[in-house]
Amino acid sequence: MIGVSSGRLVLEAKGLHRNYGSIVAVGALDLSMSEGEFLTIVGPNGAGKSTLLSILSGAMRPTTGSVRVCGEELDFARYEWRHRIGMLSHQGFLYDRMTVEENLSFYGKLFGISDLEDRIASRLRRVGLSERARSEVRKLSHGMRQRASLARALLHDPDVVLLDEPYSGLDPAAAVVLRDVLEELKDGRRTVVMVTHNLREGLEMATRIAIQVGGRFEWEGSLKGALWKDFESHYHSVVEGRV
Amino acid sequence: MCAFAVLTGVLFNFSIDTTTVRPNEVATGLIWMTLIFGGLLGVGRTFHLESQDGALQGILMSPAPKDAIFLGKLIANFVLLYVVSLLVLGVFGLFFGIDLGRNFGWVVFVLAIGSLGFVAVGTLFAAVAAGTHLRETLLPVLVFPLMVPMVIYGVGAMMPLVSGRPFTEVEGNVRMLGAFALAGVAAGAVLFRYVVED
Repeated sequence: MIGVSSGRLVLEAKGLHRNYGSIVAVGALDLSMSEGEFLTIVGPNGAGKSTLLSILSGAMRPTTGSVRVCGEELDFARYEWRHRIGMLSHQGFLYDRMTVEENLSFYGKLFGISDLEDRIASRLRRVGLSERARSEVRKLSHGMRQRASLARALLHDPDVVLLDEPYSGLDPAAAVVLRDVLEELKDGRRTVVMVTHNLREGLEMATRIAIQVGGRFEWEGSLKGALWKDFESHYHSVVEGRV
Repeated sequence: MCAFAVLTGVLFNFSIDTTTVRPNEVATGLIWMTLIFGGLLGVGRTFHLESQDGALQGILMSPAPKDAIFLGKLIANFVLLYVVSLLVLGVFGLFFGIDLGRNFGWVVFVLAIGSLGFVAVGTLFAAVAAGTHLRETLLPVLVFPLMVPMVIYGVGAMMPLVSGRPFTEVEGNVRMLGAFALAGVAAGAVLFRYVVED
């Protein structure tokens, strides 16, 4: 289990299991995260990282176990807790034939944001997409779509930000923008969980790191100041079962 | 859908010898079948936009109530299908020489109830099909069996009306059609969240 550091408990998962038939995607997983923490989860393909993130976001029900955000259990019959979670997934959740601005406006209305115009302008400025606000999403490059998705995920100012492979397919310039935005998320107020294959990026951002294998956290801890090369060999040891 | 409705009306016109059958009696059945086939084209695309880039997942993760999402989709489908049903009525009226006369209001009312029942069931099953690889192939298999009561009561209500009979004669069929539509809307609103949640 990953333990609690100081600060208000924001994200808490107990006894999470998720099966796909006989396959266990997430098994016996507990997690507690406090305000301001940045957890990076790394692991091989099929380790259940994306499934875990889907459960934490409320997009998927666990087979057993529960998730609490700011003390409130993710009750699928209620909707208030969804204001607290923002997710950036493999998919952008954007409508291809709508402009970036229209997409953000649509999602902003779903979240009941009052100062929507200002909020959209500010988020687009932050991800460097102000000039493409009126472009249809389908006409954007992958990197730009990813930035638009990031603006969507952060539009409602969530307490918990979940990032699933955010660097996937980004060019270096887009990666820099993303890294800057993620750095800003480490403002002490937000709790961030990032799933990635990129050990270097993962290590750079994290205040805590976990290695997930076969649906479980096989290793977790803090690696402040550690070199990513050292961590890489440690990672391979854990994944191959040598630790 | 509109093109489908018009073309179907034209084809039926050439495929049926109106000198050997009563056009009114044949036309009502054909109108309902055209609506079901045409409507299926429309409801099959209900979640087409959302299927791109996971947008359905995006709206499901928002605080918008699931039943509201279902009802929004249902209203959009209903408006579209109802416009098409009026077009179908016009096309068949033209080719089959149906004289609606004094029952025009009741006929469009029956079509409205039938359209509502169809889109309620169709929208729910479109959500089911959207989560599978088969999609448009699966949808008719799921929807057609449930359309049997709608066709029975819809045709039962409309045929006497287009033959100039009074509304009181078909009131029972219209009530059953209405009950089917309301049950479809209620079931869809309740079940939609279970269909879309993983």
